[in-house]
Amino acid sequence: MYKDLDPLIHSQLRLAIISMLVASEKVEFSHIKEETKAAAGNISIQIKKLQNAGYIKVKKTFKNNYPKTMLSITDKGMTAFEAYVNELRKYIDL
Amino acid sequence: MGKQNLTPEESLNIISKAITNFKINYKESSKVFLLWGWILTLASFSNFIILKILKSKEAYELTVGNWELMGLFIIGNWVVFSIIGFIILFFMDRKIDKDKKVYSHLETYVKKLWTVAAASFFIAFLLCIKLGITPPPIMLLIAGIATTTSGLFINFRPMIIGGISFFIFSIATTFVSNEYIALIVGAAIICGYLIPGYLLKSAKE
Repeated sequence: MYKDLDPLIHSQLRLAIISMLVASEKVEFSHIKEETKAAAGNISIQIKKLQNAGYIKVKKTFKNNYPKTMLSITDKGMTAFEAYVNELRKYIDL
Repeated sequence: MGKQNLTPEESLNIISKAITNFKINYKESSKVFLLWGWILTLASFSNFIILKILKSKEAYELTVGNWELMGLFIIGNWVVFSIIGFIILFFMDRKIDKDKKVYSHLETYVKKLWTVAAASFFIAFLLCIKLGITPPPIMLLIAGIATTTSGLFINFRPMIIGGISFFIFSIATTFVSNEYIALIVGAAIICGYLIPGYLLKSAKE
């Protein structure tokens, strides 16, 4: 079912993460955790998958001795998201 | 949250929820406008006072023919206030950056626009000194371009009107004498930065 949809994006948590990144320049990990209400470990796993596919960039910095992980979408990720939305439109008949 | 078999409708809901949750932080953006609003208003009115003092009989006798000294006082006043502004901005930016979790596209565009505007202010200031032109009309014009464009980016009408007022004040400066130009600049900053800044601070996101 829905085999034309990119399986990397077509998952509830990964889609939420990538949609947030499409809507902004960069987003901190903790904000994704607050918005999705998912466990940090689960988010980390999904981020790793998206990062390995080259869809997102992860930048780790330190602010006042606390780690800060910033995420942003890559051009490849943006293209994949656009393709996903276009496929989605076919199913919904928009 | 980890469902794999989403229906297209569910996917669309996730996307639209994520996108609509991102809005520009008006309160945060207003801080920079208010900072420069107050700094430049104080600089304009102190400039007016300096010009009034320099034009007094006693000061005139002391500085007569010494236009470079008068110019130095005026330029020095603007430079001192600008340096104070940049120092406060540096620490303000650091604090905002520390607490910030989301950087929206719009905020980045507006920041880039003002970086270019700041460079333009500096270059225009140097050009005006070199060419012997009074800087305020050009400075207000640049402020008008950046403020109107920022207002159009974030779709905030008071800022668009404030930006347009800079254009009107820019033209007005060409009709008055030097000391009153400082008052017009002060009025322009109040209309173009301070009023939109306070309205932005109280606006709903």
